[in-house]
Amino acid sequence: METLEQIKKRIEAAVPGAKIDIVNNGSPSAQHSLKIDNEHARDVARFLRDDPALRFDFCSNVTGVDWLDRVIKKTVKTKQVVDGVEKDVDLTSEEKIPGYLEAVYHLFSIAHKHGPVIIRMQTGRANAQLSSLTPIWRSAELQEREIFDLYGIKFEGHPDLRRILMWDEFEDFPMRKDYRPPDDFEWEPTPHDDVLERAKQHYPARPTETELKPS
Amino acid sequence: MSLHPYFEIVVFVGVALIFPVMPLILAWMWRRFFQPPKPGAAKNATYECGMESLGEAQIQFRSQYYLYAIIFLIFDVEAVFLVPFAVAFTGLPVGAFLSILVFLLLLIEGLVWAWGKGCLNWAK
Amino acid sequence: MGDEIDEGLRSELQRQGIWVTSMQELYNWGRKNSIWPLQFGLACCAIEMIATAASRYDIARFGAEVFRPSPRQADLMIVAGTVTKKMAPQIVRLYNQMPDPKYVIAMGACAISGGPFKQGYNVLKGIDRYIPVDVYIPGCPPRPEALLHAFMELQRKIDNQKLSGPNKSDHLDREHPSEYPVPAFGKHDLVPRANPDVFRPPQIERV
Ligand code: SF4
Repeated sequence: METLEQIKKRIEAAVPGAKIDIVNNGSPSAQHSLKIDNEHARDVARFLRDDPALRFDFCSNVTGVDWLDRVIKKTVKTKQVVDGVEKDVDLTSEEKIPGYLEAVYHLFSIAHKHGPVIIRMQTGRANAQLSSLTPIWRSAELQEREIFDLYGIKFEGHPDLRRILMWDEFEDFPMRKDYRPPDDFEWEPTPHDDVLERAKQHYPARPTETELKPS
Repeated sequence: MSLHPYFEIVVFVGVALIFPVMPLILAWMWRRFFQPPKPGAAKNATYECGMESLGEAQIQFRSQYYLYAIIFLIFDVEAVFLVPFAVAFTGLPVGAFLSILVFLLLLIEGLVWAWGKGCLNWAK
Repeated sequence: MGDEIDEGLRSELQRQGIWVTSMQELYNWGRKNSIWPLQFGLACCAIEMIATAASRYDIARFGAEVFRPSPRQADLMIVAGTVTKKMAPQIVRLYNQMPDPKYVIAMGACAISGGPFKQGYNVLKGIDRYIPVDVYIPGCPPRPEALLHAFMELQRKIDNQKLSGPNKSDHLDREHPSEYPVPAFGKHDLVPRANPDVFRPPQIERV
């Protein structure tokens, strides 16, 4: 299989205007992925599926991720002249990345027996919307519905976007990090941490002094 | 004194009536004296595996359903004949082979006829 | 009718070949040896329930091998497995559709409290929030022996039910409800979150 860089170059040549970034994965698995932009997502996906050398005809997995706001610290070594002496100084720059929601697709080629190539699409938390890749890979249909159900990402172009696990009347998106479960903590035999905090709100008030001493 | 020849039948009918009616009477008396009936909206609703029930339990089936059932029955019987045919296939004389072919032909003809009549179309 | 027979007199009569019983005993004896469960399973615990019904553990010894596919013919509901919030209304509706007398066994950590999924967003924290449970079996999953034990406990309970008097069995009590309200799907959770007539969690006491 071609490397991600080669794939990226060929996508950019084939789909004019597509913005592709390589997201590096620092873990030992080193499964790097391609971040593709929302407008050209379907064209890029179609290219990945139909290109004779790639032929990613099987989308094995679609999943959602909720990234919190995070700060990335970058340290750059520079030489600076301090008091007339040249010294190595570490310059730390901080980059703030606001939180976002992400849909991740794992693609395999059954024809060529290679894969996976991982593609990601990002969207903001408010009014989350991505273009659906179900028209390209039918196997994404139920999983995109699940992401819609649990993360609240609307997949535009999806044939049948309804909730799949939770009931239709449900309004929250339980896999988002800002989800707060309903307050049904009235009976917790072994509460701890957060659960203890919430269970305490159901405890009866401490008896006052006069109540304690029956006259 | 000899009994009437129908006497045994009368006894028979009597027993046959008492056996089913007796438990019913007992159950009715039990309900009357001990267990109060507790009907309710959900309890009396049509059973639909716990989902909210829609409509009545007694519904009418379309007549096409019976056509389906009849066609199924014919081919079901055909399968019963085909199994021994397949088992004895190697040792069959030509006459038997030809006659099973005629049998098959008749059935296939029936299928073609039913198909042509549109009996296999569910939605009409 | 529900009065106890003198034990000495009874054994004396039995020695003479006369067997004396009361209506209450006869009634309870018949009921406790033919508890027909409703046939449904919700999660992994159901596998243990199936094992209990199979020949090795053989629930037929207790007269309960007849798993009924319809609630109309069932006496016992074995809530075997995780009750998700989406499933809870259906369970309550099935319970409502069972004729009296009816009993509930909550089998496994999930059915009694939500178990490993207790803090999840979609799992009910115990079926006893909506319907009265007679026997709880802890375990994840409980072994078939535990389910058999629950059966024996239930038989003991049925054996002690009274036919008349102030302590008579619930299903003979005209005032005791036979149906419980089915929770509705709400915007954030089931509405109501628990039925206060059924679910009375222990109060934390401070001294
Ligand atoms: S209690 Fe354990 S075994 Fe039983 S349903 Fe829950 S998770 Fe499965």
